[in-house]
Amino acid sequence: MKGVFACIASVLRTKVAEQMAYRSHFFLSVILLVAGDLLVPMITLLVYRSGASFPGWSLHEALLIQGVFGLAKGIAFPIFFGMVGSTLSLVREGTFDLLLLKPRPALFMTMLNGLDPEDFGRLLSGGVLFGYALSGLPAPKFNGWIQFAGLFLASLAVLCAFSLLLSGLLFRWVGSSRVYDIFDSVTSFGMYPGTIYAKSFQQLMTYVIPVGIIAFVPASALLGRAGWETAGAGAAAALFLIAGIVYWHRMLRGYTSAGG
Amino acid sequence: MIRVIGSIQAIGFATYKEWAAYRSHMAVSLLVGPVYFLVQFFIWRAVFEGTDTLNGFTLEQMLSYFGIAAVINYLTFDFADWNLQMLVRTGKFITFALRPMPHWLFALAQKLGHRSLGFMIEFVPIFLIFLFVFGVKLWPAAPMWAVISIALSFLMNFMVNYCVGLTAFWLVRAEGVRRVFLLLKDISAGLFVPLTFFPEWTQKVLFFLPFQFITYVPTRVFIGEYELAGYSIGIPALVALQVGATALMAVLMLLLYHAAMRRFTGVGV
Repeated sequence: MKGVFACIASVLRTKVAEQMAYRSHFFLSVILLVAGDLLVPMITLLVYRSGASFPGWSLHEALLIQGVFGLAKGIAFPIFFGMVGSTLSLVREGTFDLLLLKPRPALFMTMLNGLDPEDFGRLLSGGVLFGYALSGLPAPKFNGWIQFAGLFLASLAVLCAFSLLLSGLLFRWVGSSRVYDIFDSVTSFGMYPGTIYAKSFQQLMTYVIPVGIIAFVPASALLGRAGWETAGAGAAAALFLIAGIVYWHRMLRGYTSAGG
Repeated sequence: MIRVIGSIQAIGFATYKEWAAYRSHMAVSLLVGPVYFLVQFFIWRAVFEGTDTLNGFTLEQMLSYFGIAAVINYLTFDFADWNLQMLVRTGKFITFALRPMPHWLFALAQKLGHRSLGFMIEFVPIFLIFLFVFGVKLWPAAPMWAVISIALSFLMNFMVNYCVGLTAFWLVRAEGVRRVFLLLKDISAGLFVPLTFFPEWTQKVLFFLPFQFITYVPTRVFIGEYELAGYSIGIPALVALQVGATALMAVLMLLLYHAAMRRFTGVGV
């Protein structure tokens, strides 16, 4: 375990140094990430300013969902999601072999290669939004925080599973940068209160393609709207993660190259 | 003139064939477009519960707005900024500087070829999905004006993006600037939410910026009525305004292009 953290720290140091070579680009990219992540909350704000609302959800409650979404991305993107980009470029260039030769598991090496300190900027936008949303709501109970913590881990598991599925797909569908569009479009369902969808669709979003677990379910726990039946959502997230790991390794077996 | 048109045709056709090799890349829109629209459908259906109109839109008009904006976007989509910045950063621009055709015209011809393929792979299928699956009204109120407006939007989107791409001649790595600018452009164009949802003072600013002519104006021309910042303009007058804005943008782009060419130096690749 100590070795794993040493590897992560070492790669992060190198990546930060690399980014510092283009400091203005780095800081602009962080600002952009923050601005980009605040886009959906801005639309929510504009809708509520017009006098409309999501039925049964106050502005702060709706923003809490989007804040949780931002926080989850702020952790998952710099750590796991970079593997999508690294698989995309390394497989296209034929240099993925170099990761396979290193004395660590291929999945870990792919994750390490994709570590992206720039994406930590998302934590800022998610954190600010989360704090702002909470400031307009009654303080959550202790049980709510415990439940939230567990479901937030489930949220990270779902995002990790998504990055594994997309990364695995790129072993076959070489060089298609549009996997990001697929991710953005599918997960956009998870940025709004689940109650705006039909009941059957909510079930689909929680147990089959669990985008609802990314933000809606953890936020509901914090608002005291979710019972312990959300354990089912946690199990769905765990299964989704296992499916992602199995899928990634199966797709890796299909990877071929001529030596980079 | 005939030779220039011939060259544009040849470049467009070559781009068409080049991208046809990556048609699955484009075909992803068949999933992404309807999924985004489905999200909009659920959002606005919920928001309109208990209210008939919101900032001048009924639910049906709101869904039409997003449906029309999406299909227009498939016709006018552009990445001239990315392409130009890549050419400048890698030094490959020098090969274009040597050609007997300005690069902006070459890029425009490429866009024509790329969007011709997009018309068949993205626009037509998504138009049919929106029309028959989601029941979005996709027939323009005034077809001739709509065609002209979309053509002008095609040019405006290209010229705005090309100007962003030209910043690469002054900045070493302009990726950050490009992404910030494009995000602001998409917001100001009304791609995410109709511009009438913005506060009054913001609408007044947006009215005088060129970005509304990329998405908001062609979509409103398609619908047949226009309102922004308290101004209601008839469709012929609006299209005339769009012609003026496009011409102004063309002048700005050409000025920037010549300034960039004076600045450019290359040592071969």
